[in-house]
Amino acid sequence: MKTLLHMQDLTKEYGKEKAVDSLTFSLLKNTSTALIGPNGAGKTTTLSMLAGLLKQSAGTIVFDGEITEDIQKVIGFLPQYPKFYSWLTALEFTEMAAKLSGVDAKIAKQEAEKTLEFVGLGDAKNKKTGTFSGGMKQRLGLAQAIVHKPSLLLLDEPVSALDPIGRREIMNLLKELQTTTTILYSTHILNDAEEMTDQLVFLRKGKLVEQGSMQEVREKYANPMYKIYFISTEEAAKFVEISPWPARQEDSIAFIHIEEEKPVMNEVLHVLAESHLSLLKVERATASLEEIFLQVVNNGE
Amino acid sequence: MVSNFSILFQKEWRENVRNFKILWIPLVFLLFGITEPLTNYYLPQILNAVGNMPEGTVFPFPEFTPEQIVMSTVSQYQFIGMLVITLGFAGIISRERKNGTATFLYVRPISYTSYVYSKLSIMCILVVGSVILGLLANLYYTNVLFGAVDVGAFVGFLGTYIVWLLFVVSIVLFTSAAFSTAIASIISLALVLFVQFIDALLGAYWTISPWKIPMYAGYVLNGSVDKKPFIWSLIITLLAIVLLIFGAVYFAKRNISKTKI
Repeated sequence: MKTLLHMQDLTKEYGKEKAVDSLTFSLLKNTSTALIGPNGAGKTTTLSMLAGLLKQSAGTIVFDGEITEDIQKVIGFLPQYPKFYSWLTALEFTEMAAKLSGVDAKIAKQEAEKTLEFVGLGDAKNKKTGTFSGGMKQRLGLAQAIVHKPSLLLLDEPVSALDPIGRREIMNLLKELQTTTTILYSTHILNDAEEMTDQLVFLRKGKLVEQGSMQEVREKYANPMYKIYFISTEEAAKFVEISPWPARQEDSIAFIHIEEEKPVMNEVLHVLAESHLSLLKVERATASLEEIFLQVVNNGE
Repeated sequence: MVSNFSILFQKEWRENVRNFKILWIPLVFLLFGITEPLTNYYLPQILNAVGNMPEGTVFPFPEFTPEQIVMSTVSQYQFIGMLVITLGFAGIISRERKNGTATFLYVRPISYTSYVYSKLSIMCILVVGSVILGLLANLYYTNVLFGAVDVGAFVGFLGTYIVWLLFVVSIVLFTSAAFSTAIASIISLALVLFVQFIDALLGAYWTISPWKIPMYAGYVLNGSVDKKPFIWSLIITLLAIVLLIFGAVYFAKRNISKTKI
């Protein structure tokens, strides 16, 4: 698979502070990459540099040599909180976006209509953007970012401000786009990343701290464990006290981490039977995505 | 670049039509243009009717020449009109940066010269158009109530005054590109009104200054202009306009990073 973009030692400094510190990774054509990290990790700064809104302090951004036109023509950008000219209708706004991105004026309106239809705003195309709800604004933001069929789509927290239904709809749209467009998006929600990501890039304090596919990251960080559900918090606490293996407790659940396939389930069940504690369920599980996120971004803290 | 300009200008036009600036700015100048000759002409009757003056009070009212009425209107424009222009347009670039709408433009392959020119064009159309409309209405009433103004002198006066308006527009555009809306308003007001005031107070010591252009416009109307300082003032003002516009393009591009994302 061909590389669309490679960034090498990308750095952004504000005085002595480094918002992004020597970031190096590549984006392969027609794949999606999630930039993951807590607030202040440097996700928006990285996207802004790629979109041309910020100039890097050091490092290089190299696009595929086959792209000979203005780089900004092949980029679509959706900010976290897209703002629109409230006095324009969705169609006027999207058409203007298309024209400014180099779409032929003769077909710009047609392309804008098609794009608004695609993002589910076909019925609202003649409404002023000032009357739009948060979800509609996010869809319109996506429409202006894709109306010129960019090779690279940069999305800053595209779904974080949406309710679960809106989030699902936008993620479905992005999945459709993924087949023809390279997508780089930031998020702090790993569940979103799990749905449509080929590559995960974890950032902490501007630095890349982990990189790989979801499977690779899971294998590395999601240590297996037993989750034992008791009928009460007290019962779980009693088990943690008597457990022959290192254990921890969260409410009425006790966790035993499995190392080198030990302990086996039989041993756990035997100890539980001897303890005479009231349990509801025992299961073998792996760390949740949230736990992986915390492990990765807190590593080395 | 040309196509960029037409798209961006269409956006500016739509904005000013839909926020009614296209209506209220000309109305302000039209109102002052009309009221000045009317109030000066009917002042004795107005005072008589509503002035609550004691019986037998007599005010000697000066006889105004038509040129004085036109210049009296210009002095209104020089204060209220300039306030309207500076405060009405101080955020023309900076507001888009602050509210984040500029992000949508700056991530696209736009020419910053076209971007600034689209702003400049709409400002010129609104400001120059409004002033011409106001002064033509003023000329009509002055002509009817006080007598004719020499058309050639009026055209010369109007041309000179338009140079001053372009200077003001360029100041506002430059400050809006370089600073936040609040600072742009303060600096524009200081440069347009305060410096004008200083020039009027201490200006006897020099004859060449962009801030003397409105005064020279009046001399052109009276036919009493001293050509040498007038021409030099015009040249310096035109140079300042060019520099301010170049500066506006430079700062509009430089301040992209200040856009709210």
